[in-house]
Amino acid sequence: MSDEIQFEEEEFNARFDKNLFKRIFMAAAKHWYLMLGFLLAISAASFFDSYFTFLSKRLIDEGILPGDMEALQSILMQYAFFSVVQAFMVFSFIMCAGIMGQRVQYDLRERMFNHLQTLSFSYFDRTPVGWIMSRVTSDATRVGELVSWGILDVTWGVTNIIIALLFMAYINWQLAFIVMLMVPVLVVVAIQFQKHILKEYRQVRKLNSKITGAYNENITGVRVVKSLRREEKNLEEFGGLAGDMYKAGFRAAWLSALFLPAVQLISAFAVSAVVLVGGWQFSSDAITIGGIQAFISYITFMMWPVQELARVFASMQQSVASAERIFSLLDEVPDIQDKPDALAVESIRGDIVFEDVDFYYDPEKPVLQNFSLHVKQGETIALVGPTGAGKSTIVNLLCRFYEPRQGRVLIHGRDYTDLTLHSIQSRIGMVLQTPHLFSGTVRENLRYGRLDATDDEVVSAAKMAGAHEFITVLDEGYETEVGEGGVLLSVGQKQLLSIARAILAQPDLIVMDEATSSVDTLTEAVIQQAMERMMHGRTSFVIAHRLSTIKRADRIIVLKEGQIDEIGTHAELIRQGGHYYDLYTKQFRQEKSAAYDAAYEQAPLAV
Amino acid sequence: MNEQDFDLRETVSNNRVVGLWRITRGFRLVYLLAVVALAIATLARTAIFYLLRYFVDDVLPMADTGLIVLWMALGFIVLALVQGGFTFISGRWAARTAEGISLRLRNFLYDHIQRLTFTYHDQTQTGELLQRATSDVDAMRLFFSEQAIGVGRILLMLFVNWAGIYFLSPYLAWMSVIVIPIIIVASLFFFTKVGKVFEAFQEQEAVLSNRLQENLSGVRVVKAFARQDYEMKRFDVENDKKFRIGVRFAYMHGTFWPVTDLLCSAQMIFGFWLAGMMAIAGDITVGTYMAYVGMLVLIIWPISNLGRLITDMSTAVVSYGRMSEVMRQEREPLADGVLHPEHDLRGDIVFDNVSFAYDGLPDREVDDKTTDGKHSVGVMAEMAKQGMAYKLGETVLHDISFHARPGQTIALLGATGSGKTTLTNLLPRFYDYTAGQIRVDGRELRDYTRDYLRGQIGIVMQEPFLFSRTIRENITFGVAREVTDEEVFAAARAAAVHEVILSFPKGYSTLVGERGVTLSGGQKQRVTLARTLLKNPRILILDDATSSVDTHTESEIREALRRMAENRTTFVIAHRVQSVMTADLILVLAHGRVVQQGTHAELLADAKGIYRQVYDLQARIEDELVSESADHPVSELASELVSVPAD
Repeated sequence: MSDEIQFEEEEFNARFDKNLFKRIFMAAAKHWYLMLGFLLAISAASFFDSYFTFLSKRLIDEGILPGDMEALQSILMQYAFFSVVQAFMVFSFIMCAGIMGQRVQYDLRERMFNHLQTLSFSYFDRTPVGWIMSRVTSDATRVGELVSWGILDVTWGVTNIIIALLFMAYINWQLAFIVMLMVPVLVVVAIQFQKHILKEYRQVRKLNSKITGAYNENITGVRVVKSLRREEKNLEEFGGLAGDMYKAGFRAAWLSALFLPAVQLISAFAVSAVVLVGGWQFSSDAITIGGIQAFISYITFMMWPVQELARVFASMQQSVASAERIFSLLDEVPDIQDKPDALAVESIRGDIVFEDVDFYYDPEKPVLQNFSLHVKQGETIALVGPTGAGKSTIVNLLCRFYEPRQGRVLIHGRDYTDLTLHSIQSRIGMVLQTPHLFSGTVRENLRYGRLDATDDEVVSAAKMAGAHEFITVLDEGYETEVGEGGVLLSVGQKQLLSIARAILAQPDLIVMDEATSSVDTLTEAVIQQAMERMMHGRTSFVIAHRLSTIKRADRIIVLKEGQIDEIGTHAELIRQGGHYYDLYTKQFRQEKSAAYDAAYEQAPLAV
Repeated sequence: MNEQDFDLRETVSNNRVVGLWRITRGFRLVYLLAVVALAIATLARTAIFYLLRYFVDDVLPMADTGLIVLWMALGFIVLALVQGGFTFISGRWAARTAEGISLRLRNFLYDHIQRLTFTYHDQTQTGELLQRATSDVDAMRLFFSEQAIGVGRILLMLFVNWAGIYFLSPYLAWMSVIVIPIIIVASLFFFTKVGKVFEAFQEQEAVLSNRLQENLSGVRVVKAFARQDYEMKRFDVENDKKFRIGVRFAYMHGTFWPVTDLLCSAQMIFGFWLAGMMAIAGDITVGTYMAYVGMLVLIIWPISNLGRLITDMSTAVVSYGRMSEVMRQEREPLADGVLHPEHDLRGDIVFDNVSFAYDGLPDREVDDKTTDGKHSVGVMAEMAKQGMAYKLGETVLHDISFHARPGQTIALLGATGSGKTTLTNLLPRFYDYTAGQIRVDGRELRDYTRDYLRGQIGIVMQEPFLFSRTIRENITFGVAREVTDEEVFAAARAAAVHEVILSFPKGYSTLVGERGVTLSGGQKQRVTLARTLLKNPRILILDDATSSVDTHTESEIREALRRMAENRTTFVIAHRVQSVMTADLILVLAHGRVVQQGTHAELLADAKGIYRQVYDLQARIEDELVSESADHPVSELASELVSVPAD
């Protein structure tokens, strides 16, 4: 959670380049009819807005002043008729823009998600999950709104101002000219204002995430705080932060409170100019009472389109930056791709050979150097060694999540880069250290191994993995929801499910990263048996932590700094008395210490 | 207007609206002035129409309008200035109120949370508390800065302009508000409904995010099973659902706004017609007609937003309710007790038939939907996270008796859940024992203030917790005074972590949790050791302090711990016999009882005792190792066996 909160919006300075706008436009162009729909509707709506004011003018000049009852009624009939038309326009633009905004968001999310599925591991290693998440969620929303409501508001603002000016010019062009001088001042002032306001609010958001962080830490560390009697000092420090927040929040709030009055004041000058000129011209019959009324209305209501324009322009930079980030994700090219003539094989059974493989994530820090290994079909290999020795790298290379920088990996005598990724990866059964389940039912999770498996096959895979027993005890058996990430199951149960899932896939190659976390002895035994059944007859690579697993491997590879330190069977390596021997004895003591607990448990009986 | 001038706990009321009123104390005058300023601004706005009326009826017909028109123009500017000025003042004062109240709430909640009891924290999820302190406080802020003042603005506009029309013609005034009740009811109904759809929309957004996150964190599984297409389909299902809710949302707005627009227009046309007829009949002047139409607009159009503000306000009331649930919780009385001596403790500790049971929280109100059902799961998860699989009310320590003399090391040995940590938690009075007596330096433990005891006791917890500050700040975290670099270095050296810290590019200024620098479990553990050393407590509690440490550093830490234990009464919680052999007193715990106590030699002498059994078991394991590698030179193994209990 704190990750999410502390993930600060990076600072950006989007350049308004043509290419970017073209791409944003293309993202929307697919739904051109919706856009056309709301553009027409909003333009018509703007027109009627001004037309209603004009009708009010005619009401005075043609109806009330001459005392013409019929004119009054006919103008009001028009008013009523166009009100209905206007209501229809409002309905149309809300629907068109609303649907279009959602549609574009949907498209962008889909494109990003689908593209993410093709990207290579290196991308996920260097890109934080939080970064990707906000591209797909908030950035997509922002761009979706830019191309719908953003464009709508700008269109409304611009057409509204222009049409109002045209009507004013029709009524009295000299006065309209005065108003026209005011408009640019109004727009510039408003945009500057909004930019400042936006900046202040960004500051507030930053402080807000700091405050949340402070709360989070104080709650999770409350036991330490209490035992170190840190309460006073903590409050004092937090007071500083909260004080900054107060100042920033207050400043942002009063700055936005200043916006409307400032804009209103500018239009008040225009109104008074109209009154002045209108009053002087009145005697010369250049303007009517209704005309003055109309001018005052036009000027007063011009404030709203100006405000909208300012708001959209000020936030545009942010939306454009969002679009830029989205496109940067979509432009990402996967590192590992099929060769044009890659072969799709049915099976990847056969010997696996690592031939002088070099690998590094960072050229400065080589991980594997000159690594060579020949694994026979059906062999079980245990990889042992300290963190960072290269165990996971070997597995990642084997699964072709990464490819060797130097050297080759051969499957059944063929360089595996000549095969399609799909044909390799779909034949691998993987069991991870922290078993990853998806939210959904137990059955759905198992079927992830093979989508077209029948219910019987699912059950028999579960039986083989020793998972069937606990599944049937669950409230809803195979239909039990496992919760997000499988939170409703124990670690041991999750491991059994992930083994069953791999069994169901009927893979040619097993890759397993053994869990270090302790499970109870009974589950442990079940897991061991399940693993054995799964690995039977299949080539297997196990990053091993448990002695029982290590001991039953055909060969144990002890890695040290990216090189094979020792290799052989358990008996051979013990005899050597080297690195493996040290690891083994330490692990042995640790595993056996579980027996102490059992001894303590019996204690009360002895007393 | 001092922010700390009153205790917010006094504001708690069972009536949430009353509580909401009470927290405004100290800001009521400012807020009232904000409303008054708003009223003045509204009056000025309405006055403009009266000025317009005068201009049309009296000025324009004049033969020579020269100078008076200038005054008129000036009048419009002055009124606009008054209107703008007071609008701004009102906004500023409302902001001061809203920000001031949230500042006070934030500070209060921060302090309040860190002073709540251990029992409360054991049973409350972090996320739940976090929400009270952040989004609920923000809901309060919005309530005062936007919602309440917004409702005020609309109502003032309605009343002032209505009164303005009433002065022109009472008949017109009554005929102008026919649609108002309809619009208010319709908008309340609509926004309540929209609120629900919006909730569904956000829930779906959360579902979508989860789907994505699952995909990203499970990228290995997805790739290993080559399930990319399947994942795309799954994502599309949720993505499509979100799209549909979005369309529904648009549809609701698309119907509500045109319908209210039509209602408003109907009222306008009706007004035009009535006033127009009156003007033609000569009942009112043209100026009056124009003023009336201007004011009518201000009455009718803003009303449709009233529903939105009112539904928003009701969520603020719910937020207040959630917040007050935290506010009403009892704090730990840190200064309670008669003893708070100037001098340090000697560290003579006697447990006399001590028993302990965790009790629940007296009044834990479960009043809103966030805490139904899921709540208990949350509590269990939180408890499980902290390794406390206890049931409330169940006695977890039974009749514990022993005597620890100053400077002695007491080892607590036993299985997970046997009560070792619980026993040590009684000393700093994190929890109070429920029966028996604990005496420290001859006085009852409860006589000492918690504050004093915690100053005298240092704890190194099993899971090292560091704050996201610099390493130096973390080490000095437990001491109130200024500390010199030499002292910090000395503490770090004693905890065998000085060299490690210096190897970081930024040394002691390295931020914990900073990108690029990750402290291993062992390193974190040693920083907490240094922190405790610097505090220099008289009583030391080491809770399985070497559990998260690799063999390489284990001996270094054990050495550091041994030095720390000198001259302090020390409690060591351990799992294995090796770590406790040198203790002055070993307590073997099982199921919350002391089943054996004595020195290593004494306990070993009891052939049937559990301690002896565990010790033998350990020896057997070593034997097994020896036989396992029979080919290995036995002499070397034997020497290793001897070296294990070396200290």
